[in-house]
Amino acid sequence: MTITIALPSKGRIKEDTAAIFGRAGLSISAIGNDRSYRGRIEGIEGVEVAYLSASEIARELASGSVDFGVTGEDLVREGMPGVDEKVEFCARLAFGQADVVVAVPEIWLDVETMADLGDVAADFRARHGRRLAIATKYWRLTQQFFSSQHGIQLYRIVESLGATEGAPAAGQADIIVDITSTGSTLRANHLKVLTDGIILSSEACLVRARKPEHEGDPRVARIVEAVRTALAVSDG
Amino acid sequence: MPLTDMPDFSDDLLAEFAARRTLRVNTPVIQPAEPFLDMAGEDLRRRIFLTESETGSSLCLRPEFTIPVCLRHIETATGTPKRYSYLGEVFRQRREGAQEFYQAGIEDLGEKDIASADARAIGDAMGVLSRLLPGRPLKLTLGDQAVFEAVVKALGLPVGWQKRLIHAFGDMGHLEALLERLARPQPVAGLDPQIAALVASGNEAELVAWIDRTMQETGYSTNASRSPTEIARRLQEKLQLAETKLDGGALILLREFLTLQLPLGDASAALAGFADAAGLDLRPAIAQFDARLGALANAGLDLAAMTYRAAFGRPLDYYTGLVFEVTEQGRSAVLAGGGRFDRLMTLLGATDHIPAVGFSLWLDRIETARVSP
Repeated sequence: MTITIALPSKGRIKEDTAAIFGRAGLSISAIGNDRSYRGRIEGIEGVEVAYLSASEIARELASGSVDFGVTGEDLVREGMPGVDEKVEFCARLAFGQADVVVAVPEIWLDVETMADLGDVAADFRARHGRRLAIATKYWRLTQQFFSSQHGIQLYRIVESLGATEGAPAAGQADIIVDITSTGSTLRANHLKVLTDGIILSSEACLVRARKPEHEGDPRVARIVEAVRTALAVSDG
Repeated sequence: MPLTDMPDFSDDLLAEFAARRTLRVNTPVIQPAEPFLDMAGEDLRRRIFLTESETGSSLCLRPEFTIPVCLRHIETATGTPKRYSYLGEVFRQRREGAQEFYQAGIEDLGEKDIASADARAIGDAMGVLSRLLPGRPLKLTLGDQAVFEAVVKALGLPVGWQKRLIHAFGDMGHLEALLERLARPQPVAGLDPQIAALVASGNEAELVAWIDRTMQETGYSTNASRSPTEIARRLQEKLQLAETKLDGGALILLREFLTLQLPLGDASAALAGFADAAGLDLRPAIAQFDARLGALANAGLDLAAMTYRAAFGRPLDYYTGLVFEVTEQGRSAVLAGGGRFDRLMTLLGATDHIPAVGFSLWLDRIETARVSP
């Protein structure tokens, strides 16, 4: 059985992942030319690397078609129901940190907490003839956070695949749920994060698809151990 | 295996519906998704089969019948009262159990005599179930949002707090969190001193003008969202509500009320006793409750098999009074669920207020019950 590790194919997250794998003694060589989307781990037989986009990695983990993946926790948690039964978060890699947050227009002076938002949502239909609209690409995380944790049922999700921060000013939605690392884009769009509005503090993770055949496979244990050790060393 | 045939007891079911003078209606399997998500909330999104039309509008496979039947009534504009019945497939994403299964039920629209319409819905549900599960002891649990609303109002809380509590009715976790806030009020933190001063001055016009100006400067003035007046008023209300503290005695009363669970036949006396002991005037709500009990008794229904549970409700804003569900004695699978939804028809676009009560039967569970010993 070949073990497949899916790694990000571009950007900062690709470089940071390569650095961690390097420190872990898992150096990756490209199969074919340098721009190939496939690689192997030197020194371990039967381990392949596939370079994919971060969101594809989350999807492949969900379907179990790869064994390991490095991608943002937000994408993994958004991408599948019952996430902790399907995958194991083996290591948090200390890069790609960003929060998935609930943000409302700054000028909503009366809304600082989820409880405030609950009041506004409850009355919204009566005042405006429609439900409170939330622009987001995270409908699953939003729904869990609003319904299960805060008892807020009455709102509508407007799916937004880009420039979500602009949706409230543009009138496409009233508030947003989005990912932010520094908050500067939110501030530039005159949005504020609710005080208890952090849904998830995400970062890049090494994630394993739970599969029975991983049990007792020394390659699986070695990969996890190597990455964890490298992280412990850089912490120390 | 998906069900492809009607349940084998369909003929009995349809005979019951006909004998109960209902008009059987059908609705398309493919429905616009908007009304379901709008009414039941986004919780439904992960449980329905969503798709898109070529032109981008959201469609779903019929997840239930109440909304399509009500929409059909509004479109056909045939007047009230009307008693509709339905029997057909519904589609839900479920981790366990089939994802397509049959549901049947009755929707009673426009009957002005609330007590007897409530009793008839319960009687219909129990009657049909007795026919499908002959000789099997059934258990009905009943709740009443109107009684809870009366208790909350009688406690003299500000309207804003009443709305919060009523909105959370049926969701015990949410309700507990609200009671906790009422027990230990937290002052509002983080308000800009300039705004705090404006609010304290009581000059609402100036506060509204300030918000309006800021909206114009930041590009939020043209969107059709919350207006400066709405924000200013709720800010003032929030500051007042934050100071509301329910004294210990009142909190204990509310909690005591929410734990009430007793045979339905004893519920009237218990509610009256509770009102007396608490010094709360609940007479109109209890009178309604009694009228329903009277109608149930008139219909010859066995109140001994029915339980009143004060905290039983559904946290959706179109439910207004009665809720009930039926199980077999000693089993947990809900075979029938129903309630009164007097606000649904206007939310769906009806121009007149149309009182409505109904129930649906989970035919897959009934089928399982029929074959289990």
